[in-house]
Order: sequence, then C-alpha cells, then structure tokens
Amino acid sequence: MNTMVASDSLTQFRSMVEELGKLAQQVYTESEDFPAINRNAKRILASVTMLQINLEDWS
Amino acid sequence: MNEKTPYWNPYLETLPREQIQMLQVKKFRRIVRWAYERSRFHRSLYEAAGITPDDIRTHEDVRRVPKVEKSMMLPIQRKDPFPYGDALCVPLEEVTEFRQTSGTTGQPVYQPDTWQDWEWWADCWATLLWAQGYRPSTRVFIPFGYNVFVAYWAGHYACEKIGCETIPGGVLDTKARLLKMQELKATAMMATPTYVLGMADTAVNKLGLNPAVDLDIRRITCAGEPGALIPATKKRMEQAWNAKVFDHAGATEIGAWSFECDAQPGALHVNEAMFLAEIEDLDTGEIITEPGRRGKLIITALDRIAQPCIRFDSKDIIEWSDEQCECGRTLRLIPGGVVGRSDDITKVKGVLLAPSAIEDVVRSIAGFGDEYEVVVDKRGDVDDILLKVELSEDAASSREDLNAKLQTELRVKTNLGYRIEIHDFGSLPRYEVKAKRFKDLRKKGS
Repeated sequence: MNTMVASDSLTQFRSMVEELGKLAQQVYTESEDFPAINRNAKRILASVTMLQINLEDWS
Repeated sequence: MNEKTPYWNPYLETLPREQIQMLQVKKFRRIVRWAYERSRFHRSLYEAAGITPDDIRTHEDVRRVPKVEKSMMLPIQRKDPFPYGDALCVPLEEVTEFRQTSGTTGQPVYQPDTWQDWEWWADCWATLLWAQGYRPSTRVFIPFGYNVFVAYWAGHYACEKIGCETIPGGVLDTKARLLKMQELKATAMMATPTYVLGMADTAVNKLGLNPAVDLDIRRITCAGEPGALIPATKKRMEQAWNAKVFDHAGATEIGAWSFECDAQPGALHVNEAMFLAEIEDLDTGEIITEPGRRGKLIITALDRIAQPCIRFDSKDIIEWSDEQCECGRTLRLIPGGVVGRSDDITKVKGVLLAPSAIEDVVRSIAGFGDEYEVVVDKRGDVDDILLKVELSEDAASSREDLNAKLQTELRVKTNLGYRIEIHDFGSLPRYEVKAKRFKDLRKKGS
C-alpha cells in the first residue's frame, strides 16, 4: 500500500519549504536590530520546522 | 482548501507500516542525539547505560535506551537553568511556554516549550481534531479554566491552526458557559467526561435546558479521563448532548499522542509519526508487540526539543490491536484507549482491578446517576471494596433491585464482590475537571 500523497508532490513541497526556510533564516539573521522583523521571522522559522516535520522523508 | 479531505496529514497518516517504523527509528536516533549533546541529565543517563546515539539503528535498539520516570525529573528541577535544570536542551531565552503537571501524584514537573514545540503541540492536536471532524467552519467553545496546566491550551491553538472560530470559556462558571454556548450556537466543545456530564446536569437542573435540543454542540472532544471510550459513559454523554463524543490521550510531559477518529472504532489511533509508543509487561518488563496483552505505555515524543520526552514511563495501561480502522489510517489502534493507570490498577483479593471496569458497570445500569466512588481498604487482613453510587433523579427501580443488579454485573465483569452504598441523588462529590473517584487506602498517601 502506498501513502495517499504522490511522491512527486512531496518532493516539490520539500523543495519549496527549503527555500522558505532559507529566506526566513536570512530575514532573521539580518534583523537583529529590528525586533518586529526579527521576532516574526523567528516564528516563521518555527512554522517552517513544523512543515519539515510534516513532510519528513521516512528513509 | 478542501474540507472533505479526511486527514490532517494525508502523507504521514497513511504511510505503510514498514515506512512508519523506519521514520520512527530515524527520528528516535535524532532526538536521543539532541538530548545527549545538550543535556547533562540525558548524557549521564545514557553513559551509565553504555549507549550512544550511533548505537540506535533498529527498533530493538530503542529498548536499550534507559527509561525516564517522573520521579527522576524532580531532583533536577528548580535548579539552574532555573526552573528546569539539567534536562533543558535549549538556551533559556528560547523557552516561550511554561506549563506544569497537575501534581496529583506528587510535586509538579515543570515543562518548558519553545515556539517550535508549541507549533508541534498544536499540530498534534490539529491531527486529532481534524480526524474528529473539526473544520474551519466549526465554532468551538472551550469551557476550561486556562492556567498553568496544559490541558486544552494546545487544543485551543490547534483550533486556531485549523481555522475554527475559537471561543475561550475561561473563568466563566458552568451556567454562564452553557448560556454563552447557546447564545453563540457553538457546534463543538472540549472537556473531561466528568465535566461533560456535569454540564448536562447543570443545564437540565439549574437552567431548564436540554443540551440535546437547546444547544448546537454536535462534537465533543474529551481528555484527562478514560470515560469517552468506556461504552456506558460515552453513551450517556452522546445521549445527553445529541453529539458525537471522541476520546484522545495526552500528557504534559508527552504531548497529545493518541486519538479517536470519526469512525469511532472503540479505540484510539497512536500518532506514530510523532510518537514512538512501546508497551511494557507490568511484571517482567518485556516489550509487548503482539495484540491483546495489556501493559504499561513507554513513550517518546519524537520532535519535542526543549525538554525531550524519551522513553518516558507514562504509567498508562494500554494494549495493541491488529485491526485496521475503516478510516484508512495506518496508525495502529489501542482498543479501549487508556484503560487505566499502573498506579491505579491494583490487585484486590488477588484479582487485578481496573476502576474503568467499575465505571462501565455503574453507568450501564438505568437508575444510577453518573457519580460513584470506590474505596479499597483492609478489614482485618482481608481486602475490602466499598462502592458508593448515587440514584439517578428519575430512578424507577427499588434500591434492593438496583443493588442486586449491580452486585451481579460487577461480579461478572470484575470477578470481585463489593460492599455497596446507595446514596440519594446529589449527595456524592461533583468534580469540574479530573475526578478522584478511586481511593486505595492500603497505599500510603491515598
């Protein structure tokens, strides 16, 4: 039995989430003196990690 | 978004068994490494057992990792980094949430979480709520006294994550909560089974409302007690509210690790993509893998990072089923959910007694109310069980008939005899959150 999500879709989602994470990390790193950006970017990074957990490859 | 999609995560919830197990081992090794590299508590535990993260390659290797009991957390807490001590695996400034256990079995354990952990908590709850039919169009009322205990906090955040309209029923009293639910036409709520029945009682007797007719609640998610999977208790709740009642199990130190789905199979699914659950034989400590044998849950939260939960001795009593659920999830089932606690399930007169079995009998007999109390004590050298029950408001049978029926049913279901006291309606204690109905006075401190 296969999972209900096609592996192509999973691969594509993982790739997009990786890009999202890179962008969020960049915003976070460059905003040390800008709390409104820094803290919101940090929260996005937490959500990105949750996306990664939800898509994690079993192998 | 397609609200008809039956799964919160169609990938993980339908993953073939072999792949779920491989994912679990991969995640288990990662969380052990995380703790090993960041926590003196965990490192010393693993070094004493002669194990490193690299030694974990298979499910069998998981069993070599030492278990953690709640009592082991207490000596390290309330020390630096205050107040969590050596099990903390992130810098203190990363901690965004504080919760604590209820302390019913001793000193409370403090539980830190990061934003990432909190996302994970809410996601685990979103998995179960979605499986129970919660959708963005659901209006959820949460009649819970928001405080330092985690109960329903994560449920609240999961509702927000799903997109439900979420109503915090905080410090309102029961009557005010019922009236607000009625006014706002709330369609779902979350509470302990004790409180679900208590609210129905208040609605009928203090407000003259029939929840099944006058309110719009059609889904109820229970937690904190085993009642929602005890057939007689579930039936009473569903009839009182004209709602589907669902169970789930979770704990402060662990997370929301199992849930009943919309198919209501009389069992909970273990969320095995997020948790690794093992069942340990109570006498031998052997890991039980086959269905139908009860034991103690040893559980790992695979993605929780601030204060990891690795092979935690939950003391919950469960058993595996090998049945497939019609919902299509590949996550394994535990029939009857959490059927008791290893510190509640006790030998009386040489027979194993689970309080949930008594509850099922009491609530299956028309003529008895919802409240009861069990007191186990010694009379001389002999164990004695006193069962206090309450007549329902509309009891039609005589006390003698009810007593005889109760004795017979209890004998059949539990293989034990009881001293029974039948009290008038309204005379036994009422509980708002978790009930304390089982007292073993043979144990010190009960």
